[in-house]
Amino acid sequence: MRAEELKGHLDAVLLAALEGGPRHGYAVIESLRQSTGGRLDLPTGTIYPALRRLEQAGLITGSWSVVGGRRRREYRLTAAGTRALTGKRADWLDFSAMVSSALEGRPCPSPV
Amino acid sequence: MSEPRLISSYLAVLAAQLPAPIVEELADGLTETHRSYLRQGLAPDRAAESAVAEFGEPQAIVAEFARVNPARRAARRLLGIGPVVGACWTVALITDRAGSWPVPLAVRVLVGVALITFIALLAAAALSMRYRLAARAGVAGCIGMATLDAVLITGVTFASAPLTWVMLAAMAASTARIAFTARSLVPALAR
Repeated sequence: MRAEELKGHLDAVLLAALEGGPRHGYAVIESLRQSTGGRLDLPTGTIYPALRRLEQAGLITGSWSVVGGRRRREYRLTAAGTRALTGKRADWLDFSAMVSSALEGRPCPSPV
Repeated sequence: MSEPRLISSYLAVLAAQLPAPIVEELADGLTETHRSYLRQGLAPDRAAESAVAEFGEPQAIVAEFARVNPARRAARRLLGIGPVVGACWTVALITDRAGSWPVPLAVRVLVGVALITFIALLAAAALSMRYRLAARAGVAGCIGMATLDAVLITGVTFASAPLTWVMLAAMAASTARIAFTARSLVPALAR
């Protein structure tokens, strides 16, 4: 997936990557790579400012630890982040169903 | 394990432009990326090249961090609400004939110069893609604008002029902006 296409959905996929539990930046990137089948085409350095932005919005929270002599920042979903993920997931399913219907020339199912 | 020179110099470029905690986090991620390529069987230098290429241009990373800087975001919001507060004061000062108040010309000029300076600082913070410039200009512009609001409120209070409802509205707008600025600056000053 191209970076520009992903940009509008970056928050949702980052929140989803943290749904399974706390992760540091590199582990988030690895999780995205696995969940997208290696099709993620994004400069991975730009994931870190996106994580900071989500933290400032109160959707995730970060904490420091020391691993192998290096400081590492780990992120976890907040309650607000979990709610935001649920909403973004529902929006995406609704949107993708609508576009799929339009592309395939069949009636769009009613939103749940 | 010592890190390859390419990774050291890449991190040095970031360290010259970003705060230490952010660089530490990026260094951890870059080191893990490098190790991942080593595990795939690449030679150390080739693994470093791949890791750096995957991370992206340092300037793009700095620009993204500048974009999410709390001081920059606070500056953009202040610039957004500034015209409303400014309009309130303009109407109040014209309505109450502030031109006839016994305020020395030097003070009037000083307030005008300060206002232009703080707006310029906020604009620099709002537009800059350089993290440190955005952070410093943003904090300075926000503090300056809040100080100017406080000076205006204090000045009008002690100007022994009758407080009309338009003047009270302007003072309320400035008070709200001071509170908003204080709240916005907390995360900016915390880092």
